[in-house]
Amino acid sequence: MNEGLKGTEIVVKCLKEEKVKHLFGFPGGQLIPLYDQLYEETDIRSILVRHEQGAAHAADGYARASGDPGVCMATSGPGATNLITGLLNATMDSIPVVAFTAQVPTKAIGTDAFQEADTFGITMPITKHNFLVKSTDTLSWTIKGAFKIANTGRKGAVVIDLPNDVQQKRSKEYHHGEVKFAGYNPSIVPNPLQLKRIAQKLVEAERPLILAGGGVILANATEDLRILAEYLGAGVATTLMGKGAIPENHPLSLGMVGMHGRLGANKMINNCDVLLVIGCRFSDRTTGWGLESFAPDAIKIHCDIDSSELNKNIPVDFPLVGDANLVIRDLIKFIKKYEDVKKDTNIWRKRVNQLHSMCEECETVKPNGSKLTPEIIIKTINNFLDDNAIVTTEVGQNQMFAAHYYITKKPRQFISSGGLGTMGFGFPAAIGAKVAKPESQVLDIAGDGSFLMVCQELATAMSEDIPVVVAVLNNSFLGMVRQWQELFWDKRYAGTKLGTIPDFVKLAESFGAYGERVEKASDIEKALKNAFDSGIVSVLDFKIESETNILPMIPPGGRVDEMIGVGRCRHK
Amino acid sequence: MSTQIISVLVEDEAGSLTRMSGMFSRRGINIHSLTVSPSEKEGMSRMTIVTTGDEREIEKVEKQLNKLIEVVKVNILDKNTSVVRDLCLLKVYADKENRAEVIEIANAFKSNIVDISIRTITLEITADPLDIDRFVETMKNFGIKELFRTGVTAISRDVEKKSGG
Ligand SMILES: Cc1ncc(C[n+]2csc(CCOP(=O)(O)OP(=O)(O)O)c2C)c(N)n1
Ligand SMILES: [Mg+2]
Repeated sequence: MNEGLKGTEIVVKCLKEEKVKHLFGFPGGQLIPLYDQLYEETDIRSILVRHEQGAAHAADGYARASGDPGVCMATSGPGATNLITGLLNATMDSIPVVAFTAQVPTKAIGTDAFQEADTFGITMPITKHNFLVKSTDTLSWTIKGAFKIANTGRKGAVVIDLPNDVQQKRSKEYHHGEVKFAGYNPSIVPNPLQLKRIAQKLVEAERPLILAGGGVILANATEDLRILAEYLGAGVATTLMGKGAIPENHPLSLGMVGMHGRLGANKMINNCDVLLVIGCRFSDRTTGWGLESFAPDAIKIHCDIDSSELNKNIPVDFPLVGDANLVIRDLIKFIKKYEDVKKDTNIWRKRVNQLHSMCEECETVKPNGSKLTPEIIIKTINNFLDDNAIVTTEVGQNQMFAAHYYITKKPRQFISSGGLGTMGFGFPAAIGAKVAKPESQVLDIAGDGSFLMVCQELATAMSEDIPVVVAVLNNSFLGMVRQWQELFWDKRYAGTKLGTIPDFVKLAESFGAYGERVEKASDIEKALKNAFDSGIVSVLDFKIESETNILPMIPPGGRVDEMIGVGRCRHK
Repeated sequence: MSTQIISVLVEDEAGSLTRMSGMFSRRGINIHSLTVSPSEKEGMSRMTIVTTGDEREIEKVEKQLNKLIEVVKVNILDKNTSVVRDLCLLKVYADKENRAEVIEIANAFKSNIVDISIRTITLEITADPLDIDRFVETMKNFGIKELFRTGVTAISRDVEKKSGG
């Protein structure tokens, strides 16, 4: 019985082999063995969050900022169920997260024991894959398999449910080397014939447009994407998840498309003759509705690592399965061969520049006296932060203001909840990002409603010394829902008024954090400086008008080229 | 919309059946029948799923199934080149007066009598599901007391290549 490694020793050994340095977690009865194992561990830092949802989001933010899997852990029952939102959030945005959940001892499973939950059953539909480990003998195989699944192919969250006795028993079984699954082969080489056809279409195109999704960033293919775009003279629009796939100050960058995208970018979708879509799943927030009117005249090319995304939402002319990295690299190779047949794309380039500058112009908001507007706040943040800074967002108007106005210059520096749209993601994700990149400035562009959902993590940031800055765009409303009520529901503000509770400055101070209220545009920069200089987690309470809207937008049911609220867009 | 038979080879892992059926319900796809049995490969099971959908929908199902880690192979069976079978156990009311008639019809459908009581006959039939449908329809005339069907299982025929001449 005393032979081999204890289950928890196996966990730690595997974590080290996977080069895990940080764990975000929260303990409980069934998780005591693993916590105990980590107690004297110096190579792995265990960060105590104040709510398990924070652990999942922090692991997610860590993964997005670093490119390495994020790891979190929670106890059985309520601990595991508190992780759920965070796990689905990661899976929907294809972010590699590995979660350890404790479980009641194997003998007690099925008895409705104290804090027993069917974590395996509950997490099955919201993760990429999950495991219930029934014996310490299979533990190392499972953990290595979990990391492989989470971090290869189309990435996602993987849960490992660990019964208490599996953590404590000893086993001599230890899996060395790679874990193989008969039905899982994530490394797909793009089909060269299809690549050649696609390259030909791109070279022949007069008005090529690239739509880059989060897949380009996840595949670390952004540098090659820029090269490809420059070769083709193609404009590059991105989805929310694709922000940072091309420097947004690049002349070919058109910004974000979709429901709250830029007018120019949305127009271009229906203007181009060849649309190359890479690492994007055509979410309805990207395409709008009336799918037959999405780029109706364009030859559509769709490259994605997940074959089930091809022809799922939008039928395309040229589907191609493959990692964005390989696809783009090979496309460049093929296109180089066509150098001499290169068309004159000057007219199109001009049009790209024109559309680009048209939004630029609009977005160069001049300070309107001392009025504090989201535009001015985010523009000031733009100028204040350095080139390595990471911005996260909450969900709502704050997120869309950030997506619209924050100029992202590098990949993995704009972190936002796309698929799930989870309020309360941004702050714990910022904590995770700061842990991954301690040298970078990290700032969460937040809404008052969202931040309140996770503000307890101020305690985590204080006690673990993780100095991130939360910029609350405080409109005293659940602003985005209020905006819909204003525009589409007769201004009946049911359930959206938050009022001025709490006092965010005092809230911050009660945690020992830095807090400051900002009411004038001229004070924004000073406040940002104070916050970053404080060296501790900070909350800036920007008092903005209650009834500002983020416009233009595609109304629910509208098509990609039917934006409303374009009144102030000068070049309609 | 037509009936489709999907044959799936899966690794025997706890939960793989739930994962499969969960995928169908999550994507809003109906399952008519689902059978699970051992396969010729050790550690792997074969699931036969009958569903309805057009070509595009079935292609989506195939891709979603392939995405599941435990799924090793997915085959959409062509009904023209496959042997399709369903097993039905049926208890029908039959007394002195109509017992002979029930037996006669049962024989015509090549079904076996597996039990007889004073008021019922229990029949067993293994056939193409459409034949079973017709059998059941006919037996309804006598009144069906209980009906069990196993669900469809199917296997593709090996198409012999004609030797060239
Ligand atoms: C967890 C969660 N609950 C509800 C929603 C629906 N929702 C979307 S935006 C929004 C309002 C967000 O309010 P706030 O954080 O103050 O941001 P604002 O829109 O005011 O900038 C709500 C309730 C959501 N996205 N996430
Ligand atoms: Mg708000």
